[in-house]
Order: sequence, then structure tokens, then C-alpha cells
Amino acid sequence: MNILGGGIFKGMAVTLRNFVGSYFYKERLTTNDYEWRPKDKLPQSIGDYPKEEGEQLRDTTTVNHYSRNFPMLLHDTGEPMDTIRCVACQICERECPPQCIYIEKSTEKKENAGGKPQFYPAKFDIDVSVCMSCQICVEVCPFDAIVMNSQFELSTPNRFGGLLVRRDDLLKSNDYYHQIHPQEAATRDQKMADEKAVKEAKKKAAAEKSKAAAEAKAAAEAANESKEGTE
Amino acid sequence: MSFELIKDILLATVPLLVIFPSLFAFTTWMERKALARIQNRIGPNKTGIPCTRIGLFGLGQPAADGIKMIFKEDIVPRGADRLFHLLAPILALIPAMLILCFLPLEFPWTKSMQPIHAFLLDSAVIFFFAISGLATLAIFMAGWASRNKYSLLGGMRAVAQMVSYEIPLVLSAVVVVMGAGSLSAEKIVQEQNFLWFVFTPWGFAAFVIFFIAALAETNRSPFDLPEAESELVAGYFTEYSGFKFALFFLGEYIAMFAISGLAVVLFLGGGNGPGAGLHPLLDPWVPVVWFIAKIFGLIALMIWLRGTLPRLRVDQLMAFAWKFLMPLSILNILITGAALHLLADGRLEALTRRPNHLYKMIEGANPAMIGVLWIGSFLILYAAACGLDNLNRPGAKPRNYKYAE
Repeated sequence: MNILGGGIFKGMAVTLRNFVGSYFYKERLTTNDYEWRPKDKLPQSIGDYPKEEGEQLRDTTTVNHYSRNFPMLLHDTGEPMDTIRCVACQICERECPPQCIYIEKSTEKKENAGGKPQFYPAKFDIDVSVCMSCQICVEVCPFDAIVMNSQFELSTPNRFGGLLVRRDDLLKSNDYYHQIHPQEAATRDQKMADEKAVKEAKKKAAAEKSKAAAEAKAAAEAANESKEGTE
Repeated sequence: MSFELIKDILLATVPLLVIFPSLFAFTTWMERKALARIQNRIGPNKTGIPCTRIGLFGLGQPAADGIKMIFKEDIVPRGADRLFHLLAPILALIPAMLILCFLPLEFPWTKSMQPIHAFLLDSAVIFFFAISGLATLAIFMAGWASRNKYSLLGGMRAVAQMVSYEIPLVLSAVVVVMGAGSLSAEKIVQEQNFLWFVFTPWGFAAFVIFFIAALAETNRSPFDLPEAESELVAGYFTEYSGFKFALFFLGEYIAMFAISGLAVVLFLGGGNGPGAGLHPLLDPWVPVVWFIAKIFGLIALMIWLRGTLPRLRVDQLMAFAWKFLMPLSILNILITGAALHLLADGRLEALTRRPNHLYKMIEGANPAMIGVLWIGSFLILYAAACGLDNLNRPGAKPRNYKYAE
């Protein structure tokens, strides 16, 4: 049975629950209370924010895992620069609508995580003040090297250099990616593994084909020779 | 004019001019905090003592806001009518402050002499409604003088809304006047020594109607159409800045205090409440404290509702006043008359001449009859409300939200 005006009381119960709950459960609060710091103790650039990934997680885990804020570069397990996925192909730089990515290609090749010699970005900067978080760089990257981070601590008192995020600050491990966006990371890894399997199968097939072709050719030549011999 | 008279006038009026504006400052803080907590935020918490980092839960926020308002530039649009643009905020404040004078607040420092009130009237309730109607004029003046389409729309909405809701407001107050047999605020409060009117079925219905109409009269959410931020920028005070804006704000909150004060007088027993006899020095303060505590209770309810309910549409607002509240309050008057007649058992004429007549009626009546009367009239009112709701929205059922949960 519905009491007349019962919906109002229902709504009031909800708001009361929020009101009381916000005093007792810290995790209900959507805003963080910042500790006061003197000006010289403030981070001067985004790289000055806690570098340890654990530290950063403390920030980002308060955010829902659907949050996507700013790009980061992925590397596989190992030394960041040895296992970087980016090959400095500069597709993202070209596709970026507000043109906020600046890449400089390395002059020599270096082995990547797959053990294949590749180019790597000597310089990879993204301007926070220009980036519009559209995620197009993530869409176009053929190497799954750039994905969205959910870190939101991006303010600095330094308006010019401070807002340009450098390559080393952008580099994050795949494990970190799994921690902040578990579903997306799992799908991406699955996709990469599938692609790799398909590639390998193709390679194998191509190798077999070429082998078969070579054998056929050899057989044909042999037949030809024998034919010539018989003549 | 003698010195004594001037002293009495000052003693009666200065407390109202000091206490209520400071309560206004506190209420803005309370509202911001409560709304923030309802939305799982913290609210103002940094503005405390200047030049230190002591937050004091943001209690300094009203002072900071006030300083900001005073020093802000006062902008008048080029096409505006300068005189009326200036007069409107002042005129909005005056009726709100005047209404406060009718509240039977007895401050202890007037007790030593003969009790002085700012304005003691035998027909305070009538004057209350007469003067509160003036606020409409000020609001429309603001809307018209700004020469801005949003201001004008806001002003027009305000006039339509306030005129419509004045009727259920007055009609629900009539119920109390019938029960108390007097128009004087003092006598109505005395009448409730035994039983607050809100505890009678007709008084309860009247209180609900009165409270809803009061929300609309003071332009509070969910009836805040005249200043609907999402539609009209800020409604009738779109073109106001600086101290004029602050005056509007002050007037609005003082009107809230005034109308809550009237609700306390009419339905919640004024300054009646336990606590007397603790200490001879504290005793005179008890009614004042109770009165202000009850006002704050009602204001907390208003804030709570503001955090809960979405704004009504214009046609819903009008239909609610004319098709729902007005018939219900007329029916409530009829029920009150019938119930009082049955309670008095034919001695209504004799009893209403004496004080505490409700008490005498109930004392002399048969308990079973009282029970039947209480439950019966409550059921009639509830059925009438449900029926009106059905008539207004035929076939309305609770909605199933496809995407919720």
C-alpha cells in the first residue's frame, strides 16, 4: 500500500542516511581534505607527486575504476626504459586533436621486451593544460603503449614547465594498469595475446607455405632436370 | 516622548534587529553544511579565525561572505529603473522584519517592567498575513525594474506563486483561530498550554498545509521557481550584486524565520516547553530558547527538504495550490467546526468566551468520543487528500524506474 506523499519520506530517508553516513564513513566523502603545506613544499611539477606506484595507488583507488583522466605510457615488467612498448611511431602525436603530445624519435634502435630491436621515444611530453582527456591517442595506438591513467593530482604552481609531463613521469608498469583498471587491462592483455597468437599462426603458416613452395619448386626443378636428363 | 518610552522601544526592537540577522548568518552556515553532508561533501570548513589556520568548522564563512558582499561592486544595468532597482531589496526586507514584531517573544530584560512587545496586537495573525503579502510586491518590483527577461520571468512566477499559496496559508491558520477563539498571538500560545494544536487531527492537517504553503511563500525548494538557477539564472535577483543582493538574501531568510515563527505560534505551542524551574536566573529564558529552538527545528526541516526534493513544474505548482491544498484546507475548516461542536456538546458558545476552552472541552468529553473524533477526522482528511490526489492525477501509479538499481 502506498501512503500519500510516501515518496517524500522515502527520499528524506535517503538524504538522512547520506547526512549521517558522511560523518561516520570516510569513504562516502567524494572530496579529499588537503593538508596545508607551505608554498615551497608544494610539488613544483607533476613529476614531483609521489613517484612510487603504491603511493599513487592510494590516491587513485579512492577514484572509481571507470575514471580516465590523463594518458600514461605502459611498460612491461622490468626496467621501464628497457621494456617500454612505445616505438615512437608518432601516430598519437598526429591524431591528437588539441596537439598536446610532443615526441622525438630515437636515432638508434634498442631491444624491447619482445627482444626485437625497435625505435623508442627519446622525448615524450604531454601538456596537461592542453590535453582534453579524449582518449583518442589510446584508440589509435597499434602497440597498446598508451592508456588512460586515473591520477587526478595534476596541479602545480609552475604554469609553464610544470604542466608538461615528461616521459619518465608518464611511464607506468602494466601491473599498475591492472590495479587501476582491472577489467580494461585484462581485455587489453587478452587482445594482445590473441593478436600475437594470430600473428604467430600466420607466420607459421607463411613459413610452411614458403617451405612447401620451396619444396615444390625444388621438386619441380628436380623433375625438370630428370626430364632434361631423359631427353 | 519620555526617556522611559524610548528605552522601552529600544528594548523591544533592538533584540529583534540584532538576534535575527545574526541567526541568519548562522543559518546560511548551517544550510551549506547540511546540504554538503547530504551530498557527501564536507562543506565550508576552512574559514575560521583570520590569519590562522584554525577552521572552526567553517563558522567564519558568513562573516567572510558578508565582507565580500559589502565590498563588491554594485552594478545597475543601463536600462534599469534606478530608483525601483534600489528600492526593491529594501522593500523586500521591511515586511520580513515587521513580521518579526508580531511574534510573542518575551525577552527577559523586558520582564522586570510590564511586559513589552515590539508590537502587541489583538489581531496579530491578520496583520501577519497582510504584511507578508507586501513581499510579493518587492519581488515583482525587482523583476520589473531590472529590465532583464529572466528577472521579469522570475518576478512573474513569484507573484503567481505567492498569491496562490497565500490562500491555503491563511485558510489553514483559520483552523487555529477557530480552535483558540482568538486572533492574538499571545492568546493562541496560551491556549496551547494544554495541547499543541499540531496534536489535534485538524491541527496536524492544517500544519502540513501551512508548512507546504510557507515553503512556497518563502520561495524555498521545492517551490523555488522564482529563482530557479537552472532555468532563470537567479530569477528576480539576476541583476543584483553586492550589498543589494545581500539584502535580498537577508530578507528571504528573515521571512523564513518569520513564517516559521508563525508556524510555531499557531501549531507548536510558541514558547511552551518543559525546563522551567531549573534555576531562577534561567527561568525567564526558557520560553525564548524554546521558541527559537522550534524555529530552528522548522528551518532544519526546510533545509532537509531542499536537499531532498526536486523543483516542481510551473503548472504542477499552480495545480497543487488550487486543486489540492485549497479544497483540503476548506474541508479542514468544516471538520474543525464539526469537531469543536461535537466536543463542546452544545456549549461551544459558552466555552469559547473563556481561556483554555479546548482544555475544558476535552476534559468534559467522553474519552471514547474523543478517540472516535480523533481517528475519524484523521481518516476523513486522509481519504480526502487521497481522493483529491486521484482526481488531480487520474490513474497515477508509483513509477517503475527502468534504470534504477
